[in-house]
Amino acid sequence: MNTGLFVAFATPQALDSALRSLRAARVGTIETFTPTPVETGTSIVPVLVLVGGVLGAIAGFLLQSYADMSAYPLDIGGRPFFSWPAFVPIAFENGVLAAILTGFFGYFVATRLPRLYQPVDEYETMRRAMRDLWCVAIRTDEPERARQVLDAHAPARIEELPA
Amino acid sequence: MSGIPAPHAFDPVVLPGSNNQDLTDQVCAIPLRRRAFFWWWVAITPFAVLTGVLIVGILYLFYAGVGIWGIDWPVAWGMAILSYVWWIAIASGGTFISALFYLTRSEWRSSVNRIAESMTLFGAACAGIYPILHLGRPWLFYWLLPYPATMHTWPQFRSPLLWDFFAILTYVTSSVLFWYLGLLPDLATMRDHAQTRGKQVVYGVLAMGFRGSSTQWRHFKATYAVLAAIMAPLVCSVHSIVGLDFAGAATVGWHSTQFPPFFIFGAFLSGFATVLLLVIPLRRLLRLERYITGRHIDVLCRLMLTSSLFVGYAYIMDAFQAFYGSDHAELVEFTEKVWGYYSGIYWSTIVFNVLVPQLLWFRRVRMRQVVVLLISFGIIVGMWCERYTIVVVSLHRPRLPSAWGVYHATIWDWLTLAGTVGLFFTGILLVVRLLPVISMFELRELVVPRRTPP
Repeated sequence: MNTGLFVAFATPQALDSALRSLRAARVGTIETFTPTPVETGTSIVPVLVLVGGVLGAIAGFLLQSYADMSAYPLDIGGRPFFSWPAFVPIAFENGVLAAILTGFFGYFVATRLPRLYQPVDEYETMRRAMRDLWCVAIRTDEPERARQVLDAHAPARIEELPA
Repeated sequence: MSGIPAPHAFDPVVLPGSNNQDLTDQVCAIPLRRRAFFWWWVAITPFAVLTGVLIVGILYLFYAGVGIWGIDWPVAWGMAILSYVWWIAIASGGTFISALFYLTRSEWRSSVNRIAESMTLFGAACAGIYPILHLGRPWLFYWLLPYPATMHTWPQFRSPLLWDFFAILTYVTSSVLFWYLGLLPDLATMRDHAQTRGKQVVYGVLAMGFRGSSTQWRHFKATYAVLAAIMAPLVCSVHSIVGLDFAGAATVGWHSTQFPPFFIFGAFLSGFATVLLLVIPLRRLLRLERYITGRHIDVLCRLMLTSSLFVGYAYIMDAFQAFYGSDHAELVEFTEKVWGYYSGIYWSTIVFNVLVPQLLWFRRVRMRQVVVLLISFGIIVGMWCERYTIVVVSLHRPRLPSAWGVYHATIWDWLTLAGTVGLFFTGILLVVRLLPVISMFELRELVVPRRTPP
């Protein structure tokens, strides 16, 4: 894995078919860099959001129950101290806040961001990966074979750097 | 208009002939300009001055106290609270567009959601300062937070006013995070587009290293969708709780179960009106007619008309409940609202929010941008009048005739209101100057078809 290739395509369809050939030929490890999402897959973040939201709502509810029943019971017109329907709005808001915070920070944890520098930034073409070229970075021992596989897909650009 | 035809209701979401390169270059070029547009300076100057007025108003308020405002018994909630409700409705409207219509997969949302979300951000900022200013002792606002106080006291969790504090706190935080997360891919594009070192560093740091890798996109799509799905019920809850602030009190004119949905209808209406008010001038000034087409104006106008019918229904129910119920005080208050001292404000509400928007039934009216702007502006004024009616008119006729009174806003009330308008537009103009006003990565998916047709 001592050579890096960075290959750019003009359309997501061209990248798609090239990815299929590259995977079939097993030329090395590949990672795509694209201006639109091309590959679908699952993510852990929604699960974290659910857990965060439920825990936040429970915590909010328990805090209110503790304050009104034990820490500072106030008789308001003879209503029960544990007047749980009144605790629902804040429990909900607290759950939402926890869910959004989990989602936001969970995203950065899941993607290992912020990361201002990555070795792929050395490729000139990387400057266009968030603009108008659908790119794939390949690390391989056999750059010649990778180029042969790619030839059929008419890439817009190919760059090579020792990895 | 440089070869772009007049908008038409049957325009596609993106005009034919658009491509990704042009889209990216054009949208990036706006914030990356070395010098701002001349019109930008013309526009921001008065609003920046008004923001200064707001600061002066707040400083004088902190020095002199809320006595400088018109509030007194029986009208103890005045301009601060009604403007708070007015702003939070405008803010909520932006979230409806960006979150609710994301979930419905509406294609038209992609071009306007950045503007709508920015509107949410600054609308919420304007709203958020009011309740704190309205506190007689604003430096004690942290008493609303549940914290282990040395006097072992806790906030009153059974009060809608406390729910509101939590709702606004959650809403402002979530709006900022949702807005920023949605900006990440576009900030990365800006970083790669920037020519000078300074801009590359600033946008690069803000983009946090987003590169469009498959992992980043995969998590991004999932996270954004889930957050949108949470934002939609959140915004409904926030505005319902604002409604409960009123409905929870046994005050004449407030104590009504229709308040939470009624307030949400109002949020829809003012949100669509404000978005149109921003989108129509911006598409022209920034030459974005290609991406914000007649289709967008048409859809937003239809939604505005629908919300106008919703609030019309709520006004009818408001009248119905006064006569259907047997409470004499409610009848007195309603009669006073319709025929009394403040009746001009009530009828302005009806005219601006319900009657004038009926013009939008006609497609030709919807495509006349100046007319749409005027109707939208009328709605913004009408919504303000509606809040005035709810807050002031209800309070000035309590149950005991001996407690009746009249409220007038003072110059400081008006200056503070004008100041928040300045703050709002200053914020929007800063976004226009510094950030891409169109969500490029979302629009790209419309411009670049994912799959070629077989």
